[in-house]
Amino acid sequence: MMAAVGAPEVITQLESAAKVLMAPPSMVSTEQRQHAEHIFLSFRKSKSPFAICKHILETSKVDYVLFQAATAIMEAVVREWILLEKTSIESLRTFLLTYVLQRPNLQKYVREQILLAVAVIVKRGSLDKSINCKSIFHEVGQLISSGNPTVQTLACSILTALLSEFSSSSKTSSIGLSMEFHGSCKRLFQEEDLRQIFVLTMEVLQEFSRRENLNAQMSSVFQRYLALANQVLSWNFLPPNLGRHYIAMFESAQNVTLKPTESWREALLDTRVMDLFFTVHRKIREDSDMAQDSLQCLAQLASMHGPIFPDESAQVSYLAHLVEGLLSMINGIEIEDSEAVGIANIISNLITMFPRSILTALPSDLFTSFINCLTLLTCSFGRSAALEEVLDKDDMVYMEAYDKLLESWLTLVQDEEHFPRGCFVQPAVQVFNSYIQCHLAAPDGTRNLSVSGIATHDEEEINELQEDDRELFSDQLSSVGMLGRVAADHCIPLLTSLLEDRVTRLHGQLQRTQQQLMASSDPGSVDRKVLDDLYEDIHWLILVSGYLLADDPQGETPLIPSEVMEFSIKHSTEVDINTTLQILGSPGEKASSIPGCNRTDSVIRLLSAVLRTSEVESRATRASLTQLLSPQMGKDIVWFLRRWAKTYLLMDEKLYEQISIPLSTAFGPDTEGAQWIVGYLLEKVINNLSVWSSEPDLANDTVELLVTLVEKRERANIVVQCENWWNLAKQFASRSPPLHLLSRSVQRTLMKALVLGGFAHMDLDAKQQYWAEVLHPLQQRFLNLINQENFAQISQEEAVKQEIVATLEALCGIAEATQIDNVASLFSFLMDFLSSCIGLMEVYSNTPETINLIIEVFVEVAHKQICYLGETKSMKLYEACLTLLQVYSKNNLGRKRSDATAEEDQYQDLLLIMELLTNLLSKEFIDFSDTDEVFRGQEQGTPASSRTVSAADVVLYGVNIVLPLMSQDLLKFPSLCNQYYKLITFICEIFPEKIPQLPEDLFKSLMFSLELGMTSMSSEISQLCLEALSPLAEQCAKNQEKDTPLFIATRHFLKLVFDMLVLQKHNTEMTVAAGEALYTLVCLHQAEYSELVESLLSSQRDAVIYQRLADAFNKLTASSTPPAMDRKQKVAFLKSLEEFVANVGGLLCVK
Amino acid sequence: MADAELDFQTGDAGASSTFPMQCSALRKNGFVLLKGRPCKIVEMSTSKTGKHGHAKVHLVGIDIFSGKKYEDICPSTHNMDVPNIRRNDYQLIGIQDGYLSLLQDSGEVREDLRVPEGDLGKEITSKYELCWSFCYLKKFELWQQSDAPHFIQQSIVTHRSCG
Repeated sequence: MMAAVGAPEVITQLESAAKVLMAPPSMVSTEQRQHAEHIFLSFRKSKSPFAICKHILETSKVDYVLFQAATAIMEAVVREWILLEKTSIESLRTFLLTYVLQRPNLQKYVREQILLAVAVIVKRGSLDKSINCKSIFHEVGQLISSGNPTVQTLACSILTALLSEFSSSSKTSSIGLSMEFHGSCKRLFQEEDLRQIFVLTMEVLQEFSRRENLNAQMSSVFQRYLALANQVLSWNFLPPNLGRHYIAMFESAQNVTLKPTESWREALLDTRVMDLFFTVHRKIREDSDMAQDSLQCLAQLASMHGPIFPDESAQVSYLAHLVEGLLSMINGIEIEDSEAVGIANIISNLITMFPRSILTALPSDLFTSFINCLTLLTCSFGRSAALEEVLDKDDMVYMEAYDKLLESWLTLVQDEEHFPRGCFVQPAVQVFNSYIQCHLAAPDGTRNLSVSGIATHDEEEINELQEDDRELFSDQLSSVGMLGRVAADHCIPLLTSLLEDRVTRLHGQLQRTQQQLMASSDPGSVDRKVLDDLYEDIHWLILVSGYLLADDPQGETPLIPSEVMEFSIKHSTEVDINTTLQILGSPGEKASSIPGCNRTDSVIRLLSAVLRTSEVESRATRASLTQLLSPQMGKDIVWFLRRWAKTYLLMDEKLYEQISIPLSTAFGPDTEGAQWIVGYLLEKVINNLSVWSSEPDLANDTVELLVTLVEKRERANIVVQCENWWNLAKQFASRSPPLHLLSRSVQRTLMKALVLGGFAHMDLDAKQQYWAEVLHPLQQRFLNLINQENFAQISQEEAVKQEIVATLEALCGIAEATQIDNVASLFSFLMDFLSSCIGLMEVYSNTPETINLIIEVFVEVAHKQICYLGETKSMKLYEACLTLLQVYSKNNLGRKRSDATAEEDQYQDLLLIMELLTNLLSKEFIDFSDTDEVFRGQEQGTPASSRTVSAADVVLYGVNIVLPLMSQDLLKFPSLCNQYYKLITFICEIFPEKIPQLPEDLFKSLMFSLELGMTSMSSEISQLCLEALSPLAEQCAKNQEKDTPLFIATRHFLKLVFDMLVLQKHNTEMTVAAGEALYTLVCLHQAEYSELVESLLSSQRDAVIYQRLADAFNKLTASSTPPAMDRKQKVAFLKSLEEFVANVGGLLCVK
Repeated sequence: MADAELDFQTGDAGASSTFPMQCSALRKNGFVLLKGRPCKIVEMSTSKTGKHGHAKVHLVGIDIFSGKKYEDICPSTHNMDVPNIRRNDYQLIGIQDGYLSLLQDSGEVREDLRVPEGDLGKEITSKYELCWSFCYLKKFELWQQSDAPHFIQQSIVTHRSCG
């Protein structure tokens, strides 16, 4: 297009297009805008646009056109690199640089774009021996030494552009080359050019730091070079040997630490470098923007590690110098708000990155000063963070800094054994005290006190999305809890006395309020301020106690922290066990009123303080004061008790080297203490479930405590001896208030707990009776209901629907309770229900929410049980699932619903069905069954019949049913789309041999889905589909049958993948998946592949390009001729393909 | 639309048309009476005033008859009225003067419901005409409150043999 018209016309056309694009939206139509965009797009794609671009740059006055011309040059150079004379590339680069130098008044975005083009040229040329781009550093050096701020700024922009291009990070332009190319450029660059940039930068900083007065312009130059230094020090040094896949992963890393190569020793180990940054920071620390950069530079230096240090002593003296510099910086100043995070980063980096042996090798007084400084800083940041919270600031800088420092403490004390004994105790006491102080109300603490000492108290609206403090501040609390363990002697008694005091006050306050209420009977007259203050104090005290006393390791058995154990042992000789047990066993009494209360075990005393809180709460509910209580405190209590019970209750003494007598006497197996506690906790749970059904979170935490009590057999054994437990079971089975008021999810978990408890140790009669209480009523009620003659008529009555829903929820709960040793009985029980559930699908076909729940029951059963089932049992489940799907399909095919939520309902159904199918499929790779081992003794001696039905058969059948329901609209739901493609890729990969046997319709829709996924979905989906192609093609090759539908389909895919790889700009991450697919497809359809290549070549008119392409195609298949499906050839092909894409990928995109 | 309102007002007096449920036990996609209208709950969230406050439930519902949106916020301990919702399937056996002839499971024919307005009505009519010529019966669903039927119909089930 451009060649046909002269330069002036092109410029006019572009300028008027630019005018359209820049016009306000009201002035131009969408078509005009699109047309204008199209003009620029095709201009940038035009062949060899260099002459016209130069012309534009020299003549046009429209900035946007200049910008586009620069972009066009950049893209064309990369595209046509191989065709261009090296001298013309060099002159182009010189032209661009001179152009910018001569026009200091260019718009910033135009200038940056031109410099970007320069940087891209330098980078593309850096691996090309035939062209020399090195002179650029010399030129830049001259610009810097000019002393002219404008020119120096320009030099800085050039260096910044180079840095961004070579960093091969997200800032790098994509120029269609492999990550390997980017990696090689980067390695070369970081060895020489980067260091040269660093040296240049340091010279500039040195120069500026010496000057007395900096005017605004100079100061801005200073700032730019400081930012550049930061960019260099944040360079993600690429290690010498890193595979292509890792490079992509490596470059996406956040928070890069400084790990330079050996060649940087001289540049970075020089103490003057670090000193310079301290000097610079002192000079500019009042400028918050610049201070951020200078502190970040120091933080990067504090993270330095790797081969740059020749030996340990070098590392020690580097660290010593750093710590000295840091201390003298901090001690001399009052820290600005904007410095807090930066300083915290320096400290956190040096504590994280330097090995413990290096830290301990520091001179001891230096180390002590450092720890003291860190202690003061932590406390001070903590107080400032609390102030920030009171003021409700948007930007919580001190909170961020405080988090960092607390995290650093955690790192330090976790490695306590490396440091001098006890060196962290005093600091831990101070940090712990200040944390507690900040979280307690006056007079003990400073919570909600503003600077002027006035307490604020506001009642803001909190929605459910806001996380609970125990999650929101879990990092802080872990650190503080850890510090509390280090200083257990101080912290555990402190928490106990504070909590006991608050509980006594709470008790008194509740009593006073009750009297007040009886007198005035107007609940509005109650002042909640005092109560809320107490609740908030208790809230934090319980959270800290929970984090101090126990960990919450996911999935592992939590142990009593060794510090806590040692603390209890150390004092066990001074302790009177009977008094301790008395305090523990009397939560209704004031601890201090019990004689000898000073001689109790502190760990047990802290637990009993929480139990006292719990008791006050329970009594208040019995006195009908629930409205005055805090559900938040209720949550805290059961959260604590759960965490505590997991660790301490019936602890396994075999797991500990030494054991505290008070602890094992109070909570060990076969102790009265343990029995008493279990009973107490159970009572608490039952009370909460009836009182707090309206507080979903609290009810949920409560029922989770119950699950904790029964999920371990040892605890469950005690639980089932409690009469309360049986009452709970009976009450739940009768579906009467208050338990049926609980939300459905809580009821489900309650059912799970009741089932888990049933597998505790009981004598045979008791066990039978238990199941008769728990499961049989469920079955009986259900059967009675659905077997009524008029069930079809009454099925829509609300009471009936509720009964059905409650049953389905209970079934889900039962499935959730599955464990390897109970699966046999639970499976048989659930199977009886599943067939009835299918009947319900018919009855409730008009009630989407019920349908949804029925499918969920199947999903849960398959999810929890399929991996344990032997062949016969699996078959039963497969069959049930199939029938379910058939009924679902029958009821939904061709149905249209017009209400607003119809689409969402169907989306949820299908998502569940996909989940069900994936769960069934998982049997193929996760299978714990041992030919019905767990069912032995139950099976009626029928060995697995000759049927060999695999999960694949069932799943494919299921897909057959679901597929017609999957509309393109539904695929727009991302999670549904993902689940769907994951499923079909699974099927193709695991059972390619089943695909050719599919019914025609199903086969067609499957192939259509694959094509759709490959071409018009996200890159992740596209990759999944490409991965599905290879096994399909291999399957065809194995069969050796031509003209089967699969064979024909793969031929179609060959063209698709070929176009995708060769003609379209695609994601380089996908080259591997697409390449593998292409290779197997080429093996299968060699003739068609040759045709594709031929027709592509014949469409090329340019002889040079033709030759280049032809060569590239020859090279591509050279290593694998004739193509055969073996791994070695495939790997060779993939390697050539990468080269192929790098060489001609860009070429073919030109129009 | 006016007929529907009327029907709703005069629902069968014998059967209880609502029952109470604790607010916290309601759930999304369930039903509730908001401002006296039967609604499907499309959004439900909880909040509290202050960290130690008690939960309040915020409900957004769509009137199942008029499609209008209603909102309410109340303490989670409160009881809300939940309407008895019943959905029935009817077979469409004829259309006359803008009224539908519907065959009930009991064998009786209802003829008091108008063809719905809008696209839905058009779709029913055209599919009905198409299928009628093949002598197939069309089936579609109605929503019903207690025993008082409504023409607001939520879904059409095309008879599969008609495609």
